[in-house]
Amino acid sequence: MFKHLYKLMWNKRKQNFLLLSEILVSFLVIFALFSFLVYYFQNYQKPKGLDYERVWTVSYDNRQVSKQLDSARLFYDDLERSLKAMPQIREVAYTSANFPYSQSVMNTNVSLGDKVINSVNRYVSGIDYHKVLQMNLTEGRWFYPEDAAAAIKPIVINETLKAEAFGKQSAVGRLFDNHDKTSRRRIVGVVQDVKVEGDYLPSGKAMYTPLDTTDIKWNSFILLKVTEAADANFEGKLYKYLGQRFNNERVEITYMKDLRTAKNEVTLIPMIIFMIVAGFLIINVALGLFGVLWYNINRRRSEIGLRRAIGASSTSVSGQLVSESLILATLSIIVGCFFALQFPLLHVFDVAANVYLYAILLTVLFIYLLVIACSVYPGKQAAAIHPATALHEE
Amino acid sequence: MLKNYFKIAIAVLKRRKFFTFISLFGISFTLTVITVAVAFLNKFINEDYPDYKRERSLYVGTMELRNSKEGWLNRSDVSFYFLDHYVSKLQRVEKMAISSGAQASNAFINNKKIVIEYKYTNADYWNVLEYEFLEGKPYGVQDIENANMVAVISEETRDDYFGPNVKAVGKYISADNINYRVIGVVKNVSKTLYNFAGDMYIPYTVSRQKWNEVGLLGNCTAVLLARTPDDVPQLKRDFDQMMSKVPLPDKEFDKAFSNADTYFESVTRRITGDGENSGQNKAIGLLLALLTIFLLLPTINLVSINITRIMERSSEIGVRKAFGASSSTLVYQFIVENLILTIIGGILGLLLSSIAIYFINHADLISNMRLTLSPAVLAYSLLACMLFGLLSGVYPAWRMSRLNVVNALKAQ
Amino acid sequence: MIRLENIEKVYRTDTVETLAINGINLHVQKGEFLSIMGPSGCGKSTLLNIMGLLDEPSRGQIKIDNQDISRYSDKQMANFRNEKLGFIFQSYHLINDLQVLDNVELPLLYRNSSSQSRRALATAALEKVGLSNRTKHFPTQLSGGQRQRVAIARAIVGQPQIILADEPTGNLDSAMGNEIMDILINLNKNEGTTIVMVTHDESMAQKTHRLVRLFDGSQVQ
Repeated sequence: MFKHLYKLMWNKRKQNFLLLSEILVSFLVIFALFSFLVYYFQNYQKPKGLDYERVWTVSYDNRQVSKQLDSARLFYDDLERSLKAMPQIREVAYTSANFPYSQSVMNTNVSLGDKVINSVNRYVSGIDYHKVLQMNLTEGRWFYPEDAAAAIKPIVINETLKAEAFGKQSAVGRLFDNHDKTSRRRIVGVVQDVKVEGDYLPSGKAMYTPLDTTDIKWNSFILLKVTEAADANFEGKLYKYLGQRFNNERVEITYMKDLRTAKNEVTLIPMIIFMIVAGFLIINVALGLFGVLWYNINRRRSEIGLRRAIGASSTSVSGQLVSESLILATLSIIVGCFFALQFPLLHVFDVAANVYLYAILLTVLFIYLLVIACSVYPGKQAAAIHPATALHEE
Repeated sequence: MLKNYFKIAIAVLKRRKFFTFISLFGISFTLTVITVAVAFLNKFINEDYPDYKRERSLYVGTMELRNSKEGWLNRSDVSFYFLDHYVSKLQRVEKMAISSGAQASNAFINNKKIVIEYKYTNADYWNVLEYEFLEGKPYGVQDIENANMVAVISEETRDDYFGPNVKAVGKYISADNINYRVIGVVKNVSKTLYNFAGDMYIPYTVSRQKWNEVGLLGNCTAVLLARTPDDVPQLKRDFDQMMSKVPLPDKEFDKAFSNADTYFESVTRRITGDGENSGQNKAIGLLLALLTIFLLLPTINLVSINITRIMERSSEIGVRKAFGASSSTLVYQFIVENLILTIIGGILGLLLSSIAIYFINHADLISNMRLTLSPAVLAYSLLACMLFGLLSGVYPAWRMSRLNVVNALKAQ
Repeated sequence: MIRLENIEKVYRTDTVETLAINGINLHVQKGEFLSIMGPSGCGKSTLLNIMGLLDEPSRGQIKIDNQDISRYSDKQMANFRNEKLGFIFQSYHLINDLQVLDNVELPLLYRNSSSQSRRALATAALEKVGLSNRTKHFPTQLSGGQRQRVAIARAIVGQPQIILADEPTGNLDSAMGNEIMDILINLNKNEGTTIVMVTHDESMAQKTHRLVRLFDGSQVQ
């Protein structure tokens, strides 16, 4: 039976060419959509790696801060102490511009012997950075103030970087060379990945370096973890206080919660638009498929009548028509899979291969369901054809 | 003849309700997406409040310094010094609007935090750009020279800070703990106009930044206004010539790029271009590729439905041929039929688009962006509609013209 | 009126060549009512299609009104069919989406005539076949005999010199068939229209002026 149907479809390949290409293009669109969805979903399932609630970010213009190292140092130490003394503030940490959910990126590469690891995010972090964000240490420790005196500067790395550099081995105590091999860094701890780009994107490789004397001159961001008592009234007062400290230069306070929402929207809104557009395209295709199948069945009334006359049951007739559509779909799916498999094979994007495999699986399932949904009703209609009338018509 | 085609088309469409529905759904939806996309693009490309003089304007945005040996580059907005010291000397520049990039700051009023994005501008900014003043007036050369603490604020800021529709001129607004006297209130600018959107505008001399510091990189952008539209190409050349003579500030870099772009170029340069290349062709190519990919599915779908429709009517076509219709007449008939269908779909699509645009505007996805179905958008959509109708009609019509009469008449 | 010289028609598929018509010479006089008979598959419909310029012969010449048709372009053939020929089919081939009157007007659409004159001619043609009270109906609302009468009205509305009828009574019972036959005979007698009719009904064929029998693509008598 299968062979018979296959022959029938193959002999009609010219007629079915448009239908085939339509299913193929749908396959590719759906594949793209599912690839994104699987990718986002896999990332979404991973822990955020931080607590963004009640974290405020302060950005300020550092023009009025002395560029003299010692006085800058003094100024910032004093500011940190004063802020921490406020009862509404629990933790304080200076940070580079690329704090979680910000718009900034700072990339570097590190080397481990001959191995160069590219695009590692470098986060310049104050001593209490991990406390403000409530990051989870999985190995070793965070920086101590005493580290400043160490001959080899300490760094903390995240699990992704650890996995890439050392695999399953312990990372603590190992050394990284910086990009031009002029200085070395000792790994003192490993933290859980922090999804800095929002909930739907991976954390990437990350290393945290302590804020040192050269960084401090250019610093212009502070992270604050505040208590529940920190209300708008306090925010106003804090704003005024910071304004005075920075000699009335520009100061802005934002909530990390809002930054996260904005960051997620940047990922989600295009995705939602894509889904709406793809959804309509698929409805479009489904209706088209339905119409064409319906017409084909009406045109083949005599053939169906004949089949019924020579003893096919009504279920076998409708089954045949549905199977025919499925064979057509399979032809397109084979071609579609050929294209789709190029993505994991050629590593077109830096995405794990299993994302594509899941996406292909889901797409195949989806296309089959779509085709079945579109052919069941016409198939039923065909089954209802009375052999006598159908044959008489010819 | 045309009237007859029309009559037949309507009759056929009415009889084949299901196919008509599928076709109309496909066409109207496709058109809705295209129209909304065009309306959105239109916001970036066509003249929009307050930038109405694009015909004789050129835009200076980015400065790129390169070290061609090592491959480094440093890119940012241009410095005030660069604009003031070099660009303003160009003869064909009638006026130049200078503004700094918007910087966010907070203001607190009645325990409510307001985010204010402010820009520093020069006095000619108000002459080049046609902001609509709801009250008050802009600051002038005198205010700039005296570094008066005055500000022009947006309608949105006024409503947030002083209350809806409260007169603000003469009152003081505090940002960064500094008080500015409000001297004007302007209508909101769409955030899509990156260079002009802001909540508050302040004379640049008020800024404590060292705005006249020597250097090429900074945080300013400028609009150069030529005297006539014909002057624009020459001004562009003058600018390039001037640029080739600008001394490099640093040994670290050996090349400097900055351009006086048309508005479209200035947009594409930010997205697909760099200092050397405006990225205009790349952007257009990308857009066309995207459009093709998007149109592919509905087109194939419509083509296969059209072919089904033709096959279903093969006996009719046979009869028409037998009674003296030539192939070309039939092809015209079919194309007219398809165009009528497309136009009905187009009208539906426009209705759907206006609904979609209404929702997009109300959701305020991009701050103060108001999409409109302007004549330009309508024209583009109509063009897309026609293109779509022809595209989906031509192949089936060709198939139809080759339809064998004898077989067609047997088919019933 | 119609002169067929050495007409041959070969159908080719990938494996088989079928000779549908094998060297037929036929001359149809002006004003003649000719019938063609023969068993199924003898090539009678093919012959009619060739006469009607719907199909091209593989070899041979057709002359209608002493004009060599074989070199005509698609457009010229279309015009020729429109002006000179009228068709009637076994299965009527009415356009179901159009009302009876619009169906009859169809051939006139491909001429330059005003809509009033089209309407008048179509109404007159329907009157001749006795269907003037059914102009607003759709074909699906009519009986088989009525449909065939609409088809005849469509064939005569353009006042063609030749009518080609392919088993016009084939789908009808004998009473209806006779009715149709009478219309055709009257048409031939009163208007002088040349009629070529393919049929397998001996009694219908006997009513015509001349009978041509085909067997396996060749003329028997």
